[in-house]
Amino acid sequence: MRAFIERLLSRPWFGPLGALLAVYLLFAGLRPDTFAHAGNLEMMARQTVVVAICAVGMTLIMIKGGIDLSVGSVVALTTVVVARGLQAGLSPWTAAALGVAAAASCGALNGILVAGLRITPFIVTLGTMSIMRGVAKGLAGEQKIDANAAGLDEWMAILPPEYGFLVVSPGVWLALGLSALAAGALVYTRYGRHIVAIGSNERAARLCGVPVARVTVMTYALAGVLAGMAGVMEFGTLTVGDPTDSLGLELEVIAAVVIGGGSLSGGQGSIAGSLLGALLMTVIKTGCTHVGVPNWVQEILTGVIIVVAVALDRWRQQPRQSSSAH
Amino acid sequence: MLCRVVGLACFFLSVLGACSKEPTKAGLAGDGSAAAETKALRIAVIPKGTTHEFWKAVHAGAVKASRELKVAVTYKGPLKEDDLKQQIDLVQNFTAQKVDGIVLAPLNDKALRGPVKGAKRSGIPVVVIDSALQGEDHQSFVATDNRKAGALAGERMAKLLGEKGGIIVLRYQEGSASTANREKGFIDAIGKHEGVEILSSNRYGGATTESAFKAAESLLAAQGGPDKVAGVFCPNESTTFGMLLALRKTGAAGKIKFVGFDASQKLIDGLKQKHIDALVVQDPFNMGYLGVKTMVQHLRGQSVKKLIDTGAKLVDPTNMDSPAMKQLLAPDLKRWLGE
Amino acid sequence: MSESLIEGPEAEASLVSARGLDKRFGLTRALQGVEFSARAGEIHAVLGENGAGKSTLMKILAGVIRPDAGELSLGGEAYQPNDPAAAQRAGVAIVHQEPQLCEHLTVSENMSLGAEQTRGGLLDRRAMEQHARRALQELLPDAEAMSIRPEQLLAELGPGPRQLVAIARALASADCRVLILDEPTSSLARSDVEHLFAALRRLRERGLCIVYISHFLEEVMRIADRYTVLRDGAAVGLGEVADATLDEWIRLMVGRDVRDLYPRSEHQSGEVALELDDVWTGAGGPAPLTLRRGEVLGIAGLVGAGRTELLRAVFGLDGVRRGQIRVGAYAGPASPAIRLNQGVGMLSEDRQAEGLAATMSIRDNIILSKLRAFVWPRRARREATRWIEKLDIACRDPDQRVGELSGGNQQKVALARLLRHDVDVLLLDEPTRGIDVASRAQIYGLIDDLASRGRAVLMVSSYLPELFGVCDRIAVMCRGRLGVARPVADLDPESVLHEAAVAS
Repeated sequence: MRAFIERLLSRPWFGPLGALLAVYLLFAGLRPDTFAHAGNLEMMARQTVVVAICAVGMTLIMIKGGIDLSVGSVVALTTVVVARGLQAGLSPWTAAALGVAAAASCGALNGILVAGLRITPFIVTLGTMSIMRGVAKGLAGEQKIDANAAGLDEWMAILPPEYGFLVVSPGVWLALGLSALAAGALVYTRYGRHIVAIGSNERAARLCGVPVARVTVMTYALAGVLAGMAGVMEFGTLTVGDPTDSLGLELEVIAAVVIGGGSLSGGQGSIAGSLLGALLMTVIKTGCTHVGVPNWVQEILTGVIIVVAVALDRWRQQPRQSSSAH
Repeated sequence: MLCRVVGLACFFLSVLGACSKEPTKAGLAGDGSAAAETKALRIAVIPKGTTHEFWKAVHAGAVKASRELKVAVTYKGPLKEDDLKQQIDLVQNFTAQKVDGIVLAPLNDKALRGPVKGAKRSGIPVVVIDSALQGEDHQSFVATDNRKAGALAGERMAKLLGEKGGIIVLRYQEGSASTANREKGFIDAIGKHEGVEILSSNRYGGATTESAFKAAESLLAAQGGPDKVAGVFCPNESTTFGMLLALRKTGAAGKIKFVGFDASQKLIDGLKQKHIDALVVQDPFNMGYLGVKTMVQHLRGQSVKKLIDTGAKLVDPTNMDSPAMKQLLAPDLKRWLGE
Repeated sequence: MSESLIEGPEAEASLVSARGLDKRFGLTRALQGVEFSARAGEIHAVLGENGAGKSTLMKILAGVIRPDAGELSLGGEAYQPNDPAAAQRAGVAIVHQEPQLCEHLTVSENMSLGAEQTRGGLLDRRAMEQHARRALQELLPDAEAMSIRPEQLLAELGPGPRQLVAIARALASADCRVLILDEPTSSLARSDVEHLFAALRRLRERGLCIVYISHFLEEVMRIADRYTVLRDGAAVGLGEVADATLDEWIRLMVGRDVRDLYPRSEHQSGEVALELDDVWTGAGGPAPLTLRRGEVLGIAGLVGAGRTELLRAVFGLDGVRRGQIRVGAYAGPASPAIRLNQGVGMLSEDRQAEGLAATMSIRDNIILSKLRAFVWPRRARREATRWIEKLDIACRDPDQRVGELSGGNQQKVALARLLRHDVDVLLLDEPTRGIDVASRAQIYGLIDDLASRGRAVLMVSSYLPELFGVCDRIAVMCRGRLGVARPVADLDPESVLHEAAVAS
């Protein structure tokens, strides 16, 4: 039993899960009639989808020891590409695929620049963040693009009664499915182990014959695909292509990964933790709206919770580290 | 690991969902419909942003209505100014909270349709303020009647010119409904005055002061400056300010009659210097007030008009210091917002 | 073990001493009742395997950590440093294995870091440089010969001069009485070691008490006056170096006789496995070499002679300037992945930075170089467990992080990776650096076993006894140039040293 508890404590997602439960119970206690309502839970899950899908990609990148600041711009670009595609009369599936393809090429470009030019990912993606935003604005003619959502909005809408068996919106299932795939890939595939190895010690990975450049490009491209899917979901929410959308999304995504046990120096992080981190931020946001806290207090509170969550996590891991000294 | 991730997520959603349903139902039943009338109505007001003066005036107006009508108002805008996604999230949030009504200033006339429809489906009425929303899901649209406001500007322009002369219109941006209506109202009003001729009305100033300034400069040069042009009209703050800068730069300020839109401190200074002859100003305080009031009327079973004009006023150097105008240009926010 | 090794008169003569020190980290008892005593004007060696408690004892003396029980005294008074700064004020300074200096600052800035001299609010560079020059000259009259200039950036210095800068910095602090050196020679070339020893002897003459930790027993024999041996967190031996023998030390450290430190079986030299033809690397050349199956070939030389560069070039980690490397019949382009496919594996000299992924588990590190598209954690754990048993790796379980293991066990994990990959040619770069005697003996046994089973081993080492103990042939490298490999029987350490130090 004790071993079980110790194992549980050592799980990377245990910290964020605790924080999530604590914050959830706090708000549920303050507003039991509205906050703990099933509809509200469904809505919070739905509002987490975009950040969560991006966080899956960001987790892979950060475990590999990189970072992607361009994710917000890529999401915005995807909404514009999808809207343009629909405007041009493409079917919704084709338009969505086009959007994902555009995002994937953005990701691949990030990866090629990082691996090929050997520039630190922070700088590369700082640059591409601006480039992608510019491309999105140019493609959209500097305005929001109206297009018939043609059913893409159903992915992120409240379920109509006849689809009640799904429990939550298809977008939420998509986020969970992608997370499960990524979490599985990290543990059960060669590619996943290579990502962890590069993040843990890139030189050691090279020594073991890991194709570092190829894995790098693949990881950024994969994160691009995920950002693209998030972008399609974002379009489903907005129903317009908005080049100014998702400003600062990258910081929210990075915060989710870090709350979930990810480290900016690589080698650490878990998909489940990142999901919980993303959910935690939605809960704070929604809870503050329910309680009626002004925006500035909400922002301070979010920041405090990020720092406290990460500090607690480090503190929790400390005793295990010091026992290794001799 | 894989099973655990999915399992955990499902577990979390379902368990929390299940255990929270019961007390909610009980709570609703306990309140009953009779009790609901005595309980203060809860109305959410969602602006486009929270830091601009315009929205503070809307907030103050909403607070005034809430005090008069004894309802509770929650005022909450997107965390980041003009963030469409966050505004959509907010509408969904308040819908999930089961507030009694939502007063919304939509950032986009189409993107907010879905959330508003969702609110309606959940039995929560929505009153739209400031900017139009497509569709028929909202109860009422409370805003400046932009066409009327444009016509107001047109009449004043004709009067300023003594019924004759050539004028130019610097439009704002393609696809902006409110300014397009102002432009149309202005042009239609001018059409009734035969001596006044519109020299140009197909140039756009764009989103920023910078782009408006450039467009204004080249437009003035193309039309031959103060010799040929007797008057100019601009439909919003950024084009008005851009035009003001261009007039000053070309030395035409004060020589060309200038009617603009909206009031910022810089534009009021321009008015004082007589570089601007008149400004059409909206009444955001009234917008907030009427938005909440209309919602309460609807909730209390009274019928409400589909379209409510909050009115626009002309400010010129002669009336800008009158108490009524002072109240409009700088409403006493402290009294309502209490800071 | 509570029987004190330190008798009455000894206690009086001692400058720094410890009694009944206890220290726990979680479940492990790092120290249990350690007795220690060192005198002024002596070099006192502290010996012991990794994990015996040497570092913990030194950290306690230097105020880095505090003991759970026991007492310390310094100069006859109770000594309870709360932090390293307090220890320094009391006159106890420590120089770590990897000197903690800032590469981007100059020598003089490093030496006065935290105690900068200013004039009118600005740094007084000249005073600082004079101070640094004086301190270095005091330490080593021919500091100029070692070409340490105070205004030089530290990054321009090699490990030897850096070590001296760190020592000078430690001595510069107010009246230093006890100087603790933790493995000062582990990354030094032979000539730098001589410089260091000269400096240490001068310091001893000045009456300083030097506590000297080292794995290199032969060096300890030369430099130290007295010794303390630690085993399993307790002091098990104390005495005069002059009366001691290597065998006795090893017996004390390991707790048993290590008669066959270098096991040797019959090696059958077979076909050519690796051939270098006129190879030039970034460190120079040429480096001709023929490695056959079933033999262990050693490369001796000074640090910086280009031995590591050669191994890295063979493994495809670095490029080759000129010449050809043939593995079997293949002479095409190389990368680590290609080499591993051909059955060539490499053990890095730098376990922490390159050899292992410290934050990953033992299991992950062992299986990393050879993974199928899908990985089954359970199967991988079983396989890792097999290697852990085979190589006698001391650990909690296969999921323990590699970073938590001792140096010897870490190296065994790195070796397990090569063995699992079943490579034919092993490139071993300093395979026993910083490793305890018992682990070393095991690794020597492994190397011998591999060679007797027809594998080819190319081994770089700065530790001559080990090269002579393990290798069939030894080649000496000097300034990038590799000499002819000759059978061990035809060589003696003196001639190898001569060849390594003097370019022909």
